[in-house]
Formats: sequence, C-alpha cells, structure tokens
Amino acid sequence: MAQPRGKFLQAVLVVVVAYLIFRYAIQPPMPFSVLSLYLFITVVAVLLYVSSDSDSWRAFLGPLWRTLAAPDRHVFRLVLGVAIPVLIGYYAYSQAAAPVEAPVELRAVHPAPPDTITFRGKEIHLQDPATPVRKDIAQNPANAAKHLAAGGATYIRNCMYCHGDNLDGHGHFAFAFNPQPADFAGPNTIAQLSEGYVFWRIAKGGPGLPRESTPWNSAMPSWEERLTEEQIWEVIYYLYETTGHPPRVMTEGHAARSTPTPRGPRASWLAEALTGLGPGAVLAQPAGDLALGKRVYDSHCALCHGADGKGDGPAAELLLPKPRDFTAGKFKIRTTVQLPSDQDLFNVITAGMPGTSMPAWKVLPERDRTALVAYVKTFGPAFKDAKIEAAKIPSEVKSSAASIKRGQEMFEAIECNKCHGQKGRGDPAPGSDLKDDWGNPIRPANLTKPWTFRGGPTPRDVATRLSTGLLGSPMPTFLDSVEKPEDIWHLANYVRSLGPDSPMWASILQVVSVTGEVPSDPNAEFWTRRPGANFPLVGQVIADPRNFNPTVDMVTVRAVYTDREVVFHVTWDDPTPSDPSKGAPKPDRVALQFPTDAGTGVRPYFLMGDANGPVYLLTWQAGQGVGEATATGVGKLAPKTAEVAASGQAVYDAGQYRAVIRRPLTPAASSDFAFRPGEFFPVAFWAWDGSEGDDGPKASVSTWYYARLEPPASKRKFVVPPVAALLAGVVEVGLARWARRRRPDGDENRSS
Amino acid sequence: MKTKWSLRVLAMGVVLAVAALAWNAPVGAQGGGTISGEVKISGTPPPPKTIAVNKDVEVCGKEKKLVDVAVGPGNGLGDAVVSVTDAKGAKPSKKASLDQKGCEFHPDVLIMAPGELDILNSDGVLHNIHTFSTVNPPFNKAQPKFKKVMTEKLDKPEVVKVQCDAHSWMHGWIVVTENPAALTDDKGTFKLENVPPGKHKVEVWHPVLGKQAKDVEVKAGQEVKVSFELAAKK
Repeated sequence: MAQPRGKFLQAVLVVVVAYLIFRYAIQPPMPFSVLSLYLFITVVAVLLYVSSDSDSWRAFLGPLWRTLAAPDRHVFRLVLGVAIPVLIGYYAYSQAAAPVEAPVELRAVHPAPPDTITFRGKEIHLQDPATPVRKDIAQNPANAAKHLAAGGATYIRNCMYCHGDNLDGHGHFAFAFNPQPADFAGPNTIAQLSEGYVFWRIAKGGPGLPRESTPWNSAMPSWEERLTEEQIWEVIYYLYETTGHPPRVMTEGHAARSTPTPRGPRASWLAEALTGLGPGAVLAQPAGDLALGKRVYDSHCALCHGADGKGDGPAAELLLPKPRDFTAGKFKIRTTVQLPSDQDLFNVITAGMPGTSMPAWKVLPERDRTALVAYVKTFGPAFKDAKIEAAKIPSEVKSSAASIKRGQEMFEAIECNKCHGQKGRGDPAPGSDLKDDWGNPIRPANLTKPWTFRGGPTPRDVATRLSTGLLGSPMPTFLDSVEKPEDIWHLANYVRSLGPDSPMWASILQVVSVTGEVPSDPNAEFWTRRPGANFPLVGQVIADPRNFNPTVDMVTVRAVYTDREVVFHVTWDDPTPSDPSKGAPKPDRVALQFPTDAGTGVRPYFLMGDANGPVYLLTWQAGQGVGEATATGVGKLAPKTAEVAASGQAVYDAGQYRAVIRRPLTPAASSDFAFRPGEFFPVAFWAWDGSEGDDGPKASVSTWYYARLEPPASKRKFVVPPVAALLAGVVEVGLARWARRRRPDGDENRSS
Repeated sequence: MKTKWSLRVLAMGVVLAVAALAWNAPVGAQGGGTISGEVKISGTPPPPKTIAVNKDVEVCGKEKKLVDVAVGPGNGLGDAVVSVTDAKGAKPSKKASLDQKGCEFHPDVLIMAPGELDILNSDGVLHNIHTFSTVNPPFNKAQPKFKKVMTEKLDKPEVVKVQCDAHSWMHGWIVVTENPAALTDDKGTFKLENVPPGKHKVEVWHPVLGKQAKDVEVKAGQEVKVSFELAAKK
C-alpha cells in the first residue's frame, strides 16, 4: 500500500497534471467554462477513487488531519492560516477591480445567400456556375490578362485600404476596424465560397446582410453604388487568381469547377519547397534573381509603383505620400549617404512604411524580397556602377534626463519646429508649403506618434533618419548640422520622449461618475489628470467625396457624468486651425455619434446610419461651437436648429484641438440619444480637417465602440476582499478546533 | 524667384565676379576674342507675384516679390545665362559661393565651374539646401543658424535647381559648366571675354523662358556682337 502521505500527494498531482493537459496540451484552447467542467469531473473521479475503501480514504485524509490538528504542525498551520485568507482576499480584489470589457458579440460567419439579387435594376442569379468574366475568358482566352489587370486596378483603388495589398485583410486602414476586414488569402473566406456569393457580399455589403444573427457590425459598404457589374466580377476574378484559391461551385457536378493556376505567395513558397531552395539558399544568391523579381513586382508592387517603377500605378493618384518613383534613385529610408544599400531596401520591403499605404511584405518569402531588391534597382540609372556609402552615424547615447534636455535644446536650435511644430505634432509654421521632389504635398511627421514613423520608432531609427535625411522629401540631413555629432542621439532621445511607444487603442469608453461642477475649460486640471482612451480614425472612403489620406487618425476621449449631464472631452491633432469666422473656407469639426435607437441590439451602419437606423450626433465646429444633429446616412446630416441642449467649447494649441462637449442626461427630443447609467451603448467618432478640404462625407471616422456610464466608483473593491479574507480565517480556525476535538485516528495510521 | 530691389546690385555683382574670377587668366596663349551682346524678351512676361511671409519675418521681411522673369529697360532680360557651348572656360581661382540672405539665394542664378561650392547662411535662421540634380548626387542638407558655411561638391556640368523647403518661396539655380559663361545684367547685356578664336555655338538659357543657340565666329582681339530674343511663354 502506498504511503499515507503519498495518497494525498498522488491525488493532488493527478488533478494538477489534468489541469495542465486541459489548459496547455489541447489546441485550440478550450473556453474557461469547459475547462472548469473537465476539472470538476477529474476531482470527482479522484475523490471516488481515494474513497473506494476506508483504508485508502483514511490514507488520503491523513495529511489533512495532521495539518489541522497535530501539535507539531502549528507553525505550518499558522503559515497556512495567514496565506489562505490573503490569497482569497487578493482574488476577491482582482475580481472586484477588474477592468470593464465590452459585451461579447457572437455572430455567424457565412450567412445564407439569396438565390437572386437585384443589381442596379438587373436580376443576377448567384447560383450561376460561370461568371460573365469567366465566360468571356472561356471564349477569348486572350482577354484573361485584361480582366485580371482591370480587376487589380479596381481592387487597389477601392478594396486595398482595408483588405490590403496582399489580400490578407491587413490594409493600412484595417487596424481601425472590428471585426477585422476579411482575409482573402486565408482558407476561411473566399476559398469556402462561390463567386456568386462573393458578388452578393461586395454588391450589398454590410447594409445588405440578413437581419438574423445580428449584430454583424460589418463596415463593408454596398459597392453597388460605385462599381459596375463587370468591375465586381473582375475584382472577384482578380481575388481568386491572385490568391490561387479555386472558387467553390454550387452545382453538383465538378466539371464546371475552374482551376486557376496557383500563384502569389503560396505558389512561391511551394516552388521554394519543391526546388529544395530553403531560406538558407537565399544567401547563396545575394544578387537576387531578376526574373523572379519582375514576377513578384508585377503581381504585388506594380499596382501602386507602376509597371515601369515610376510610382504611377493605378492606385498612385489616390495615395499620399505617393508610391516611390524608383527611376529617380531617391529613397527615404536609408542608412547610407546617397543610394540605399540592398539591406536598406530589403528592410523597407520587409517592414513596410508605417503611416503610409506601403505594407510590410514579410508575408513574401525571403527569396522573393531579395529578388525584388535586385529588380527595383534596375528601374533607373542611379544604381549602375554606384558606390554605396554608409552614413557615419555617431555612436549611441542612451536616453537619460540629461540627454533629453540637451535634445530639446538642439530641437529648438536647429528649428525642427519649423516643420514638425513646437510640440512635435507635425504642424508646420503657417504658410509652409511642403512638397516632395515630385511636387506632391507632403506632411511632416507627427513626432508624438512614433508608431507612424516611416522608418521605425526606435531611437536608432530616429537618429539614422536625422543623420541621412529623407531623400525626395523636405527632410534634410542633419549629420553635419548639429553642434556635436552626439547631438543626433540627444535629438533622437528627445523626439522619442514626445510620445508613447504605442497608442494603446481602447476598446471601450468608460464614462466616469463625478459629483460637483464639471469645468468647460478643456485645459482644466480636472481633465488633464484623467487618463484618456485612444480611438483610431481612418478615412471615409466609401461615399463621395472620399478621404483617402485622412489628417486626423486618432481621437483621445475622456468622459464623465453627473446626476444631470454627461460631459465628453475630446483631443485630436490637426496641423492647421481652420475657422470660417477667421476667413478659412471650411471649418474643422468633430462629432460623437450614437444610435438613435439604443438598446435594440442592432447598430446602425457606422457611416452615420441609414434610413432604417438613424444616428444622433454631438458636434463641435470651429466658428460655431457645440451643436446636435441627426443623420440617416453619410452626407445626410441634419443639424438641430431649435432647442440645442448641448454646450461646450474648444481650444487650439500647437497642432492640437481639445474640446469639451456637454449635454443633459435626459434627451430634449425623441430623436436624441438618452444616456442611461449602467447600460452599454455604441459610440463612434468623426473628425474633419477643414484646411484639407474635409467637409460632409470627406472626413475621418471610427467604427462603433461601446461606452458605458459607469456606476459610481463603489467602495466594493476595498470592502469585499477583507471580509472574504476574514471569513476564510474564521472558517480555518473553526475547522482546526473541530479537527483537534475530533482527534480521529489520523496519527495512528502510520503503520497501515 | 527674387526681389526687384536686389536685382541691380546682384546682377552687376555676379557679372563682375564672374568676369573677375573666371576669366582673369586668358584661355589661349595668343589671347581670345570677346563676345558681347544683349538678350531681350518678346511678348508679355508673367507679372511678378507678391506673397505674404508669415515666418521668420525679422529676417525674411513681411512680403516677398517673386520675379520669375526679370525685365529691364528696353525689354532686356536679366538673369539669363549666356555660354559658349563648344569651348572650355578658364579654371576659377576662387571657390564659388552661394549665400542665403534675407531668405533669398544670392545670386539666384549662380554660374560655377565644376568643383566645390561654399554655401553661406547669413540669416541666422534654419535654411535647408535642397538640390534637384540628376548628374551630380542630389542632396538636402540642413543649415541651422549656427552653421555659417557648408561646403558641397558639384563635380559634373549640370543645371541644378535649388530650393529651401523651410521657406517655400526660396528657389535658385546653380549652373555648373566648364564653358565660358556669363549672366545678363538687368538691361539684358552680357560680355564673354577671352573666348578662343574660331567658330562657336553660343547659347542663352533662362530658367523660365528656355534656350536659344546661335553660331558666332570669334577673332582674336576683336569683339563680336550677338543678340538673342526669347519669347515670353503664354
């Protein structure tokens, strides 16, 4: 028979091992509820086993009894007596003080499609096995390239912002969307669908989804208004051809199934595997394979950078900054004096350029990227017989208070503020007319947002950009233009001290309960001491006029409420104040959007709703102040003229607006939103930069987020834990006393 | 491109400097001839634009008059470069220099032989020298207030546009040439001395109005006259 103490240990061990298996060994991880259920069953099974006969049961209980009652164990008892209540108290505290999370929304992935839809008055049968584009290609195979190119152009000008250059749902606007844009390259979207189904989703978008299984929260617009039937079929053809997925065919027979040639990243990876050229083989060909480079370039880069590398692809006119013109030999992100090294080009391709439409191409195999480097260098004469000279970056100075202080002095001495603004918010001095070398407008970096730095956010990245400048842009090199070489590092350290590493995007807006007067002054200490929640904004690219290159990419919101009113404090960066009362053509504006019918569970379409789901907005506008409005779609905004209950004010300082917008809790009209404490409600944000011509639909916008008027900060988290701990202590003492009185035969068990 | 008040002093200064520096040593041992003449403009030149300055007003002034085409008395065209395109000029005895003063380039059209160039900042505010060269490596260098002189290299003949991004109105031209070359003064007149005898091609170039070429025969010790007329663009 096992040792008495062994029995107990064995039991504990079995339960622990079972937990570890359930928690870590099974993939995908199971939900907590399932895990608890399995563990419960395990514990019951173990108890059944140890209590199968009285000897075993006694052996199991032995250690417990001795711990509770044996005189030689009083130290251990004391330790347990303190530790267990403390642990229980801590658990109670962590539960009571847990951060608020937005309610979970479950949704079906693929709703059932209708058999037919009406597209611009024409009936389209979604079950047709062959699309018009495929029928045309079947008759004239020569047209395939034309349709593919047209589909690519439509994609890159309309879809790329969210679904990405690589068709993986990681476009440069994607980070602001929840749920994330569909990943076409993966196995779960178009690979599972027929082309007719994809047509339906593109044509009708989020607003055309069936009412069941809501909320969908799809930001996908209805493209019927913008794209023709042929354009949509061509985009679909492009999607399947580029990803290499065969479309599913809804008919029984498999004969109609088309089998496009696989290509793209998957195919390249496959080719690499088949030819036995692993990543190691890349080193063997440092020059890069030009033929491969051209293939990869044509399928992944040409839509923006142009077939001849002139930066004039179909997407180029919509983008800012413009795609690089490779023929000029001017490159921004370098570690070199003049022309970039192969490694520089490789790094930019791999990491992309944050804050621009250039994505990170690390999805491509290393061999493809190496080949791209070689190919990109062939577009212009610059690289022919060129000497690549590394810039002499001074040796690193670690960040410190002294270094940052010196950096600030240098920042002022070399007048970084002329372009980047006094506080580094990317607000150039008035009248600056910054252009790149091709005459396109260009915006100076907002130094308080390092996650948008084109060449990376580390102090070394910043020091390197300062040293080499950004060729082709107004940013000059400062390597010989600081007082001492190490000033480059002091400057870099200062620049990095201007903003946080990450925006820490919020998922929920907590409206905090306060008592007393809430100040209307946006600069009041009442506001500045509160933490803000950051929400990402992207351009509205669906309704005309579209905003492909939004200036406002983030709002920071603080919100409180009293028994009478709710007050929002909104902060956003805008490089130039634009106030019509001071002669500007268009005003700067900001708006908070709420559904008119909160509580039905269905959110209106995020772009100011639609006829079925209107929205209510609290607005601030330069020259006019705070107002209220309702809307039934983007561009269909109706400002409230009578009985405006909202009030507030805004200030502009060094590239930043701060606005306070307040409104009574109870609505003045039925179309107004009612703020009810304790309930989750949706909120979205809008911003307009008047000096960039933003007006009406041309705006920055966020998707829906949840907000809640939090119940008054209760003392619960300070009261519950001590009470729980105390109770645990009392139970322990009681148990020990009871055990000592019982004095069962625990100690006599040794021989058994 | 520049202000009117500076035009006279500037153009004269440049002509004198060019004449004094570049041609103080004769080209041929037996001495060359002289080409002189004038450049005129036909048609109506674009009127000067005046823009309000709203930064660094203490040094830049409150407004700038931008003269893209400088027309003097008798329709003489200033700031045009006249050069003999098939002859070599003399080696300069002094480094060329380009000043930034009052938030303008001085001279706003600089003629220099291939080699080094001193860039001066007389303003005490941040300027940046941003060149748009294609034959020479392009550069964009910051010149903060404490950096009074920077030296850059322009080794190959080329007409280089230069601008300052910190002051969007600041544009200038650097004409890097191995040929004998001169800048027209505000009356549109020029003089090229010590040109080797023989038949030559003489060319005038203006940043806005473009180019024109003429054939000229130069005789030792004699002065030959040639005149150009550039049409104002519509």
